[in-house]
Amino acid sequence: MEILNNLILGFSVAVSPMHLLYALIGVMLGTLIGVLPGVGPVATIAMLLPITFNLSPIAALIMLAGIYYGAQYGGSTTAILVNLPGESASVVTCLDGYQMARQGRAGPALATAAVGSFFAGCVATLIIAIAAPPLAEVALKFGPAEYFSLMVLGLVAATVLAHGSLTKAIAMVVLGLLLGIIGTDVNSGVLRFTFDVPELSDGIGFVVVAMGMFGTAEIIANLEQGEKREVFTSKVGRLMPTREDIKRAWPAVLRGTALGSFLGILPGGGALLSSFGAYTVEKKLSKHPEQFGKGAIEGVAGPEAANNAGAQTSFIPMLTLGIPGNAVMALMIGALMIQGIAPGPQVMNEKPELFWGLIASMWVGNAFLVILNLPLIGMWIKLLTVPYRYLYPAILVFMSIGVFSLSNNPFDVLIMAIFGVLGYICVKLECEPAPMILGFILGPLMEENLRRAMLLSRGDPMTFITKPISAGFIIASVILLVIVALPALRKKREEAFVEQKT
Amino acid sequence: MAVRIKAPKDFWAGLMFIGFGAFFMIWALTHYQMGTAVRMGPAYFPTMLGGLMLFLGVLVLIESFAMEGPPLTLPFNIVHLVIAVLIYFALGWIFKQVGISGDYAILAGTAALVVLSVLYLPATKPLVLISAACVIYGYLMKPLGLVLSTLLLIFVAAYAGHEFKWKEVVILYVILIVFSILVFVKGLTLPFPICPAFMETCPIR
Repeated sequence: MEILNNLILGFSVAVSPMHLLYALIGVMLGTLIGVLPGVGPVATIAMLLPITFNLSPIAALIMLAGIYYGAQYGGSTTAILVNLPGESASVVTCLDGYQMARQGRAGPALATAAVGSFFAGCVATLIIAIAAPPLAEVALKFGPAEYFSLMVLGLVAATVLAHGSLTKAIAMVVLGLLLGIIGTDVNSGVLRFTFDVPELSDGIGFVVVAMGMFGTAEIIANLEQGEKREVFTSKVGRLMPTREDIKRAWPAVLRGTALGSFLGILPGGGALLSSFGAYTVEKKLSKHPEQFGKGAIEGVAGPEAANNAGAQTSFIPMLTLGIPGNAVMALMIGALMIQGIAPGPQVMNEKPELFWGLIASMWVGNAFLVILNLPLIGMWIKLLTVPYRYLYPAILVFMSIGVFSLSNNPFDVLIMAIFGVLGYICVKLECEPAPMILGFILGPLMEENLRRAMLLSRGDPMTFITKPISAGFIIASVILLVIVALPALRKKREEAFVEQKT
Repeated sequence: MAVRIKAPKDFWAGLMFIGFGAFFMIWALTHYQMGTAVRMGPAYFPTMLGGLMLFLGVLVLIESFAMEGPPLTLPFNIVHLVIAVLIYFALGWIFKQVGISGDYAILAGTAALVVLSVLYLPATKPLVLISAACVIYGYLMKPLGLVLSTLLLIFVAAYAGHEFKWKEVVILYVILIVFSILVFVKGLTLPFPICPAFMETCPIR
């Protein structure tokens, strides 16, 4: 019954008129920007983060969560209508969604995606409500050694999921960790790697890094490619799926939800892995695998349910352990820190209204998405026909205003530009920026916990292996690395990503 | 047997990681205290990480000679990159001697890069102009105010695109500046100056 009480508390927070309004604004803004091709949830959240600074912590989190689902949802809309994934998790939706749109069935595809996502969102919200408290209980017993090992596991998982070379992904994580420790060393007060620049003594703001790596870098890359967008369907047609569609879609939604909820909890997991996994499962289980890639509705329903479930359950490690599972959660943690809240297991006890309010607002946000977006689909399509040459200067203005307003210092804008160049070079060299962002946010935490653990063990590094929970995390990390490094599986992983790209 | 770079992307990525790793490691070792494993000094963690990165960079570099990879398509080469960095350092040094704020050195360097990019390396326009637009905006916000710095941002950024139509860009600018003033300055009350600092009274309130 405790869960029920907690949920009631949560809903009482979430349905207060102001919070409803913030959820609504978040969802709308998220969809609006998520629909724009080439702007994924990470860039969207980074871009809109400054507007939440003046809000209360709970309102800010509700709005950011709304932006996140909105951006996800907007991403699948573009995937279906224009064959351009608005974000990486909807790459899979392109495969069959766009084919359905070409056959004049854009409406059912969009409706399936929306309703499937909503169902998955509801289930995932419940899972969070049930799973988070016991997990937080366990996490409260974690010492520095356990935290350090857990972070190692999270970072390893992030590299495993990155595209391309594993070595490069690990190197990017290390680069992130190194950039993260720029600033004042908390233990000794020494300024590290600040090169006598006073602005660096507080470290580089992660919002600035994220906007550069994901925002300006993406604009540059898009401009280089040139404009090649065509809206295939100006008419969506009727939204209602046929009876046959429903019969084929609902088991896929169920499977996608289950898979996505599970994969989302894993460190490094989240929407991308979930949607990709669900597509593979659907293709394997289907009686008509030959229809996949040619407009099979299961290929839309499964991955869309999975990516929403995964997006939602990836909040679990963030909320209970204070450890981000993916780049979006890293941004959420950053937002919490800006609000003066240290993320971790204590949040649930100390700020129950924040914790449960956020969970309830997830459900509210999902409901908004279904209610609002199906009727508004026409508006989103119009937005898609706006040429990129109008959009990117606008995005650039908002990003620059946002970054400048962080501390009213042009230095932040300069850092954003530098990370934009670095992000561009990294993309060109096929080094993924997402693992770097994770490393960046975990860098100071990791060093802190490493130092404490070593101090407690009197300098004996075996402490990470002799403590059972810590050992479990380390062993899991090693197993993950070995699995991915094995030549046979490595090949399969590359094939998987190639298949996903085409 | 001739040694040939088979995967140029990995080759340069490897060099980049080696550079970063070596830099962080050497800088940490020469500037901060190492401490012991029990009481780690400020240099301990960065040295470990820098070393790890150096090692990974070498691995990536070796791989680039062993496995075939896709060609690297960058609109500039390493020489251009070095020249760009040198321009900033040279201007920074000169401005410091003359006694002008370093902010103006950054602006002057950025302006120089924009000119060089447009005249000599038009393929780098998206990269240089987009980055420059943000930098110019940031550094001119305080002296020139929101109205003028947004003007520069939009025109520089728009010039990076494939098509540049005066009329469109002007309309876009008007919409965005009105929106910025209404939403950010009036709505969210961000403390941005609207007019240039040299204007005594601002007609927009």
